[in-house]
Amino acid sequence: MIAPKPPLPARALDDRVFAGVAAATLLAFAAVALWPGLSGYRVNIIGQLACFALLAVALDLIWGYAGILSLGHGLFFAIGGYVAGMHLLEHSVATTGVTPDIVQFMGWTALPAWWAPLGSFPVALLAAIAVSFGAAFAFGWVSFRSRVGGVYFAIITQALVYVAMLLMFRNDTGFGGNNGMTGFQMIFGVPFQSPSVATGLALASLGVLGVTLVGCRLLMVGRFGRLLVATRDDEIRLRSLGYDTLRLKLAVWCLSAVIAAIAGLLYVPQVGIINPRVLSPELSLEIAVWCAIGGRGRLAGAVIGAVLVNAIKFSLSATLPELWPFVLSGLVILVALIFPNGLLDIGRWRPALLSRPGALRPQDAAS
Amino acid sequence: MTVAVLVEGLTVEFGRFRAIDDLSLAIDYGEVRAVIGPNGAGKTTLLDVISGVSRARAGRVLFDERLELTGRSESAIARSGVRRKFQKPSVFEALSVRDNVEIGLGGAGDPASHEKVAAILETVGLSEHADRLASELAHGQKQWLEIAMVVVSEPRVLMLDEPVAGLTDEETERTAALIRRLRTPDRAIVVVEHDMDFVEAIADRVTVLHEGRTLFEGSMARARADARVVDVYLGR
Amino acid sequence: MWWRALFAGLFGAILTCGAAAAAFDRAAIASQICGGAAGMTDAANAMLAGLVDATTDDARWAAALSGAAIDRSLKCGPQDPAIVAPEGAVNAATLSPVEGSVGTSPLLSLKNRPLFETVRAAATLRSGAAVNDRGAALTALERRAGSLRPEFFEKAAEAETDAGLRSRILAVGQAALLNSPDMSKRIAAIERIAATPDRRSLTRIEALKSDPAYQTDPGFRMAVDGGVASIGRWLSVSNALNVFYNGLSIASILFMASAGLAIIFGLMGVINLAQGEFIMIGAYVAYAVQEALRAVAPGLIDWYLIAAIPVVFLATAGIGVALEATIVRRLYTRPLMTLLATWAVSLLLVNLMRVTVGTQNLQFVTPWYISGGRLLMGDFIVTWNRLFAIVFAGLTLGLTWFVLKRTPLGLNIRAVTQNRAMAGCVGVATRRVDMMAFGLGSGLAGLAGLALCPIYNVNPQMGSNFIVDSFMVVVLGGVGTLAGTAFAALGVGQINVLIEPLYGAVAAKVIVLLMIIAFLQWRPEGLYAVKGRRK
Repeated sequence: MIAPKPPLPARALDDRVFAGVAAATLLAFAAVALWPGLSGYRVNIIGQLACFALLAVALDLIWGYAGILSLGHGLFFAIGGYVAGMHLLEHSVATTGVTPDIVQFMGWTALPAWWAPLGSFPVALLAAIAVSFGAAFAFGWVSFRSRVGGVYFAIITQALVYVAMLLMFRNDTGFGGNNGMTGFQMIFGVPFQSPSVATGLALASLGVLGVTLVGCRLLMVGRFGRLLVATRDDEIRLRSLGYDTLRLKLAVWCLSAVIAAIAGLLYVPQVGIINPRVLSPELSLEIAVWCAIGGRGRLAGAVIGAVLVNAIKFSLSATLPELWPFVLSGLVILVALIFPNGLLDIGRWRPALLSRPGALRPQDAAS
Repeated sequence: MTVAVLVEGLTVEFGRFRAIDDLSLAIDYGEVRAVIGPNGAGKTTLLDVISGVSRARAGRVLFDERLELTGRSESAIARSGVRRKFQKPSVFEALSVRDNVEIGLGGAGDPASHEKVAAILETVGLSEHADRLASELAHGQKQWLEIAMVVVSEPRVLMLDEPVAGLTDEETERTAALIRRLRTPDRAIVVVEHDMDFVEAIADRVTVLHEGRTLFEGSMARARADARVVDVYLGR
Repeated sequence: MWWRALFAGLFGAILTCGAAAAAFDRAAIASQICGGAAGMTDAANAMLAGLVDATTDDARWAAALSGAAIDRSLKCGPQDPAIVAPEGAVNAATLSPVEGSVGTSPLLSLKNRPLFETVRAAATLRSGAAVNDRGAALTALERRAGSLRPEFFEKAAEAETDAGLRSRILAVGQAALLNSPDMSKRIAAIERIAATPDRRSLTRIEALKSDPAYQTDPGFRMAVDGGVASIGRWLSVSNALNVFYNGLSIASILFMASAGLAIIFGLMGVINLAQGEFIMIGAYVAYAVQEALRAVAPGLIDWYLIAAIPVVFLATAGIGVALEATIVRRLYTRPLMTLLATWAVSLLLVNLMRVTVGTQNLQFVTPWYISGGRLLMGDFIVTWNRLFAIVFAGLTLGLTWFVLKRTPLGLNIRAVTQNRAMAGCVGVATRRVDMMAFGLGSGLAGLAGLALCPIYNVNPQMGSNFIVDSFMVVVLGGVGTLAGTAFAALGVGQINVLIEPLYGAVAAKVIVLLMIIAFLQWRPEGLYAVKGRRK
């Protein structure tokens, strides 16, 4: 059986879309850096969108390429976010000397002593990477070793992030409980009120996004990426060709976790707060929704999905916030039923509804 | 001469069902051994245990008279030189034909390995499809692609699970020729198949399994004449 | 335990028989009371003894006489002793009016005053006075309980009509014995208290360890130690029962929430993330039934929980079938996409409910048959609302088992679960089976919502509280086996309640998750997995 040829060969289309997304990232970078007419609010939104896009790219690496759906990526995002929060608190205390609110409502006399090293940004960055890597490695190792995959893996990661949320909601866990961390004063010695902070953070986010996109793309079109796709399509086949799929999956899982943590690290200074709500299972599910809407396994799709969904969310939350859940669920169902490979499918749309339900298409196996 | 695969007292159970029951078997280098038997005789399970997909309850499998395979991971077994083609064509559909074979080789993309890949694609007749996605291949081509993926690493033991299932007569004949060509003195080939004419065309010896045990071992011609084998196949 | 109560009752009965002979000789007592300090003591003691079996009338008399002695309205003169009141004087023995009584009021000695106060309090307790007066009398008695015979308190408790006061009387009686100067009485009292093993008895007996007698009297020490040990044993048994009972009720809900999930997962390899919302809808439909009954037949409103059972099942099953037919069916080969799509459905349902009904908790009537509970032993109380959930889950388990094992639909579900292709080949309409099974699973979730109404808050978000726990049950139980689901639900439920009191609810969840991850190392396919070869 030979599948009908799509109007445009898939890879050529992907290449074009990727180039477009990369160019858009560059354009946004240039606009934020050079265009004075962009308001601070807009710049902040662009920076946040870049963080979400980064998070989506992280999930696309493991879901789109390796076929492993994590419904708990908010955990790694939160690790980066909390490290950023601790860093900013330490830094603010060191530069302004003002005692932050968290000290009061936690009933402390000062910030915990072990946070002190996080006052240095390189240490904080290393800590975010190390902790997210360590958590991902530990969880990934036990899961992949026992060959937990598919739906099982998805719901266990969801339980993981849910439990983490419950833990962080408690005050005695020691990270601000329900209130989380907020009231940051200074970043890199610059007060948060300064307009250059929003610009700098947006530029950093866009820069990291661009570098990550290109880096991951190179990795994914190479041997590593092909082996990941092979794992997704038929893991047992790959193992019996002599490959250690445990290592492959662990590698991409940890890479994905670290990227998600960096997204969290960049995100928190832009919104000025981190609390346990980023650990809610809903947020982690939304990341998967971004990827699904944009189209999995092509990186560019993740960026498009994340930006599109969050742009709608931002504009609706200003006008009709109660409409948002309906729009979101409608979008997901639409994509699930009509555009199985995401909105990028619109370009070569075959009415999936008319095709026989249950007919297995190539990329379906791991979705 | 060393025995390529030695199976000793092997027992495999799935729950209360005994798929393989105290089976012993020796496969030599240089031979093409066909394993036949009715459905549920334990043929695929035997390959599963040798390749590490399933675990044995008792007994052991020895490769090359030195390496115990039971308890090793699939990838370790494959790397030691024991490779297997699955019953259902298992190719990586989202990758190109060439990518598939390169993954089978496990090489690093140097010129030597490119040549090897090109050669094996030529052998299985897929050279002109090298850049197409594996998902676009026809069923028979997928079977050959999978054989190419397995063979390209030059395994010492090659196991083929129903290589001609669903193929046309002409494709079957080409596959038989391919397998005969793959037969070398330092390689053992194990074929699980239902097509008796195909088995007769390629096999040096056949092992007939029935309910997890060896019912008969010998040439295909004698197998056809054996009363027990006929009974098992025809039923009573 | 019942046999302890029986023994205690028998014991009490024997004592009472012995004391029944005593009665008031009113005239004798009345004359004794005018016989100087010694006579007054005798009179008071006679009244105390007689009060054990006194009738209400006798008690009223004793209260009046002792009261008169205390407030000096008693007149001892040449005539019969009389009590002088503003309304007129009465004969102290008969309380019938007398004319022109004269005499002096006898002086209460320091020793006799408390004695008479005790008599007055004890008599008031038995005299059928107002509850407040009886309570005050008891308070007065508490300090002097030792001077009363223990049977008095038993009799008083028997006659007492107010439940709170009755238990107080018993407690005072026991305390009386505990502090009695007679060592054998004390020991008997300790044994008596130990016979009702609850936390209060334990504190009371443990307090005796600081009593000087504990050091000096080995018999007393043995009794105290024995009492503490015995209560401790019974308390730990009742604690274990409490934990088990709570765990069982949580497990029941979990089981109903996950059974449907497990059946659907086994059949189609699909996890329905909207399962929690089916629970929510089940609870809302139950509420609708309650409101409908309130409007149509207010007298039957207590029966809404029962009346709602078929309605809830059909409604949620119907929604489940609709979901299957419109969305899930088209995503069979993409189980991970089904996760997202069903999540979108759950988001939709929660917000629909929020917009149409509101976010507040629904108010449910608590029918008489599930309110209250029964103290079985020690601290172990069987509450009817939890029992309702347990019994309901038990019936659901039985019925689901019956459907799966004994009906054509069940046979088809099992066939498709084991081998979809083969079942299709032999003529099973696999698509229809999927739809029915999805309906069955959704209906079960709806019933879980019904069982939850009396125990939990019902609001649009309630589903999310159960979904993660039910996943854990499904993962632990393996797919498609009812037994696995039931055992896993029991396990998760029990572990939750075992850990919760020790380390808190969050730690319980953390530990359950860690245990499940550890468990998957050992059996990746769950408790009841069937292994097979690769196709």
